[in-house]
Amino acid sequence: MAITADSGGLWMLLALAVLVVGTGLPVWALLVGVASAAAALGLALGAMAAPVLSAVPQRLIGLLEHDLLQALPLYVFVGMLLQRLSVADALFDALARLSARTGAGPALAALGVGALVAPMNGSVASSATLLGRLVAPRLGLRDAAGSTALISAAATIGVVVPPSLVLILLGDAMLRAHTEASNLPGYLMAGQRIVSTRDVFNAALLPALAVLLMWAGVACWRARRVAARSADARGQAPAAPPLPARRMALAAVSAAVLLTLLGAVFAGRMFAVEAAATGAMLLVVATLALRALDAAGWRAVLADTLNLSGALLALLIGATSFSLVFRLWGTDAWVIRLVLGSPLSPLATAALVLAAVALCAWVLDAFEMIFVIIPIVAPALVLGLGDAQQTAVLLLLVLQASFLVPPMGYAVLLARAHAPGLPLRALAEALWPYLAVQALVMGLVFAWPALVHRLDAAAPAAAAAPPASAQDLDAQIKAMSRPRR
Amino acid sequence: MTPPPVQPAGTPLRPLRRLCALAGVLALPLAFLLFVQWPLRELVQAHARLANDTGQIVFALYAAVAVTAATLSGSHLSAGHARSGAVAGWRRWALLACVLPWATFTLWAAWPGIAAATLRLERFGDTLTPGFFLIQWALGLLLLLVLAAALAMALAGPPGRADPAPPR
Repeated sequence: MAITADSGGLWMLLALAVLVVGTGLPVWALLVGVASAAAALGLALGAMAAPVLSAVPQRLIGLLEHDLLQALPLYVFVGMLLQRLSVADALFDALARLSARTGAGPALAALGVGALVAPMNGSVASSATLLGRLVAPRLGLRDAAGSTALISAAATIGVVVPPSLVLILLGDAMLRAHTEASNLPGYLMAGQRIVSTRDVFNAALLPALAVLLMWAGVACWRARRVAARSADARGQAPAAPPLPARRMALAAVSAAVLLTLLGAVFAGRMFAVEAAATGAMLLVVATLALRALDAAGWRAVLADTLNLSGALLALLIGATSFSLVFRLWGTDAWVIRLVLGSPLSPLATAALVLAAVALCAWVLDAFEMIFVIIPIVAPALVLGLGDAQQTAVLLLLVLQASFLVPPMGYAVLLARAHAPGLPLRALAEALWPYLAVQALVMGLVFAWPALVHRLDAAAPAAAAAPPASAQDLDAQIKAMSRPRR
Repeated sequence: MTPPPVQPAGTPLRPLRRLCALAGVLALPLAFLLFVQWPLRELVQAHARLANDTGQIVFALYAAVAVTAATLSGSHLSAGHARSGAVAGWRRWALLACVLPWATFTLWAAWPGIAAATLRLERFGDTLTPGFFLIQWALGLLLLLVLAAALAMALAGPPGRADPAPPR
């Protein structure tokens, strides 16, 4: 492939992939390094003009004054505190006890904790660490493969259950993608408005619940099968020790607070940023009141929060610079022309693009996908599917499924750290029912887009308005993320 | 996240680490400011935007230091190669080669905006709250710290006992 103004971005992606794998350097540094080299080459070949590159500082200022991004360190902070406090342990024990009669108490408790904590947790990595600490000691000895599969699956719940950090960032990416798609020839708004983060929350909720319920069924089935096989089968298993009333109360209060915060976000009483801040403040007050952390513990929490937040923000900064140069090469328009000119039907083309996204997500993590890959493919997908909310939900489900495919899936990689030496075949056998559920829900959302519109707010008259400009887009982002007076 | 890489030692990194340790505390006022805007809006019905704008400044300063904190602690996402001392040395120079042109150019391109915002003590556009120029400063700080950390790591040499990486 010759280096042209059209395909230059593809060479950037290829160089990035080779350097990420080959050098082991931080991805964010490679993003800015490749962007710098590609920009220099573009200037030398006359493919881009130097003044356009001066947009980089303005784009970075845009990140630093971005209301939604303020939630990022807060989610990380909550995740760090939850890892060190006994809140998640109390929730796990209480849920395990409440669901003990099903014969799959710990497994269902893992999914329950994942569902309750993941929306307020920072990332798949954070959830995997927390769940690994809770689940591996309780289930790992009896069923290492099942335990690892369960940790992997539960750690990805935050990818689809709103209002998690992944959904907030994807919502922002989808807003831009939808605006871009709406400006393309052949795209019909057909009663839609430009999607907001809240629209993505609403669209994702029912498919996420469907996945969760079916996964609970899988977890029950697996736990009963293991119990029937093992010597301490059901009925002979040692009874769970009684849960102290104080611990049960802590679990009940924690669950109530989490559900209230999530409910307030859905009811529109709170923004996701405020919910994260409220959760963080409640945890800080509880930690201080219970003296759960000493000075060294606080220093570690604050340092870890700063470091992980910095890692995520650096990715965002790198991706912002990279995507600007990528666009200056004109490769984003080239990808869209490729999709528009596909000899396949729009749905088949969209399915192919989703398959390519799945392949990327198999080796990348959620933030790399949202910051680097999704901005490139999402406009083309919206164009192919004709429905931005359906596109968002399919992207989330694809990410979640890819993270669960061994051996490279991100969640699987993290969960396997708790079961060193676990044969890949055994793990794959334990994971396939979870993946089958994913495939089923993805198929349903792909075939029946109405499934993601059950909770839609009424579309305003703006649906018939002309496509938004870049200025409109920025104004829209600010308006949506500002607190209401 | 991959395990932390081998960290170079040396005095050039100490001030940066101290700054990062101080900046970590900003998570607390950030959480408080973003939390308090909800009761201010719903109950007091005043000052919510002020809390939001102040939170934005705190966030920008926090983000400016956080990127370098992640570099110093080895928290950045990477493919996670095993690192010998020699490889680590090569990697430090490669890191500098990646970030130096980008940070220098961006600093050069951002400087007129930072200077202009400072001279007129730029306010937030929507609310006219003072202090927007601090967000411009945060960008300059971010770029300077990235440059300083990459240079200090490249020059600091192999890891030693004098200045170990902080515990994680």
